[in-house]
Amino acid sequence: MDYELRRQDFYSGLIIAAIGLFIVVESWRMPRHFQNWPIYAAPGIVTGLLGLGLLGMGITLTIRSIRRQGAPLAFKRSDILSYLKDTKTHRLGLMFALSLIYCLFLGHRLPYIIVTAIYLAIAMITFRGTGPIKAVIISAMVAIGVALVFNRLFLIPLP
Amino acid sequence: MELGPLLIFKELVKFISPIILFHIFWSTFVGMIIGMLPGLTATMGIALLTGLTFGMEPRIAIIILICVYVGAITGGSRSAILLNIPGTPANAAACLDGYPLAQRGEGGQAIGLAATASFIGTIFGLFCMAFFTPYLGKIALEFHSWEFFWLAIFGIIICGNLTAPTDPLKGWIAGFFGLLVSLVGMEGIAAYSRFSFGFDQMKGGFALIPVLVGVYGIAEVFGGMREIILPKVRSKVGRIIPRARDLINHYRHILRSGVIGVIVGAIPGVGEDVASWVSYDFAKRSSKKPEEFGKGSLEGLIAAETGDNACIGGAIIPVLSLAVPGSAPAAVLLAAMWLHGVRPGPLLMFEFPNYIWEVTAMMIMASFASLIISLSFVKAQVKILLIPRAILMPIVFVLCVIGSFAINARIFDIWVMLGFGILGYAMRNYNYPAAPLVLGVILGDMADVNMRRALIRTAGDIAPFFTRPISFILILLIVLTIMSRIKPFTVFLSATMVKIGKLFGKQKH
Repeated sequence: MDYELRRQDFYSGLIIAAIGLFIVVESWRMPRHFQNWPIYAAPGIVTGLLGLGLLGMGITLTIRSIRRQGAPLAFKRSDILSYLKDTKTHRLGLMFALSLIYCLFLGHRLPYIIVTAIYLAIAMITFRGTGPIKAVIISAMVAIGVALVFNRLFLIPLP
Repeated sequence: MELGPLLIFKELVKFISPIILFHIFWSTFVGMIIGMLPGLTATMGIALLTGLTFGMEPRIAIIILICVYVGAITGGSRSAILLNIPGTPANAAACLDGYPLAQRGEGGQAIGLAATASFIGTIFGLFCMAFFTPYLGKIALEFHSWEFFWLAIFGIIICGNLTAPTDPLKGWIAGFFGLLVSLVGMEGIAAYSRFSFGFDQMKGGFALIPVLVGVYGIAEVFGGMREIILPKVRSKVGRIIPRARDLINHYRHILRSGVIGVIVGAIPGVGEDVASWVSYDFAKRSSKKPEEFGKGSLEGLIAAETGDNACIGGAIIPVLSLAVPGSAPAAVLLAAMWLHGVRPGPLLMFEFPNYIWEVTAMMIMASFASLIISLSFVKAQVKILLIPRAILMPIVFVLCVIGSFAINARIFDIWVMLGFGILGYAMRNYNYPAAPLVLGVILGDMADVNMRRALIRTAGDIAPFFTRPISFILILLIVLTIMSRIKPFTVFLSATMVKIGKLFGKQKH
């Protein structure tokens, strides 16, 4: 774990420094006398300072990671391949893809109960939580239950 | 003028009605289930229920959330004892001694003791809350824009320091990032839209609940589905009701952990997990049998569970007096209070004079409900732990979606939740703590508006930021917090201390 920290810190430090720099630039570009407010009340003043702080911390993290011992900074082809072949990565990717598709279908023409029941059934079957018939029954019950309880009891709109 | 206990009693009487009692019991039970199930945290539970109780009467909505909070922190010890997996991060220390006790066939005793210690901890914390909040509220009246700006910065610095003990830099980065996240959208002084890039939805900024549900809930769903752990519950539970002598013999640990829990709770953003570990550590250091810690020590279990529950009351102290949350679940509670029209902060005692007593009464009800539920239906509750994650996590995802959507009925909030879920998952894998990010999102507006307002008041003069007494104390605390984690400074400090010690030693001789 500590071995990987060097590489993790290096790349996350670079990303943070880039975000910090972007925020500083954007803050600088914000109006200085917006609606006749004085310059010290400019909307970009606090964001600019925070961006500078983030930039400084990102650079510190990157420099510190270069100095410390651990994994080489450059990724090898084998590193990427072994990550992509890992079952855990597949599971994560699959869950992410299913969730993304579910969110994409929400708020459109398909009724909430049907979209939710399909999502739950596919997720449970794919990840082998239970058998297909049981998964369909549980999914239908949960989708109907959630819709009834939250929509009728708590009066919450459904997506 | 009426006394505090009388006011608390008056508020308690108001809650004695069948409907409110029903809400108290079901929400505490739901909180306990959320706490018990590894992966579902108190923060996530309160965030979900905030959306779901949005349409309810404010008093009932807040009591439901407090019950979920107390129930989740108490319930988390159950999976720690039976599965060796903490239900919430707050219960991680309970694993060390709870699980060995369960392995010895004393799981029931461990559950009973943990529940009773949690109850005592909550009661201790809430009385500290009722006692100290008015005093802190009076001090908070001295806070003006300059102080509130520094308070926001101090909050994320101390939170980053304590929630990322191995690398505080990552905690501070998370905190600064959180502050920036809260500044997206229209700002409060000139209504200028920052970082919205022309998207109308972004002009409203990121709502707190979707961000919280994403960082705590969705990140856990992704993490939970990546690594499937099949729970193995030791079903032999045994006697549950704790023996009075076990509690009386350990009253010192209970008292000490209660104090530690309240102090840690009152520090912005730190929370129950730190309170639990610190209490456990202190108990081990002061124990006559430290070698038994980690092998099924009742002292360790009692200390950890008293500490994390006492932290609840402690975490609500700054919420009510300063509008600064003491922990991540308290941050959601603060947001829920805002949503229901209550404005915690220095003016709370003037605008809602009885609110502190009302919250105290709510917590008393929650802690009693939690104790009753904890000590009954244990075997039925244990069965819930056996639900496979592959069934549970997709259902949790569906609930997260509803929870994020409920408050504003915006599909955009679902995307915010998903985005912050991915961010939260990446942060977890790269050892960035989530608590400073959440605290930053809460405190961002406070930092921004107060800094600019202060500059307007002084026509751009920055001197009051450094010369006002409370500001100066806060700056000193910030500098000391940062310096305490910089190695050359700590080396220099310890060397100086040794020299001073030697000097005094020589003078004695």
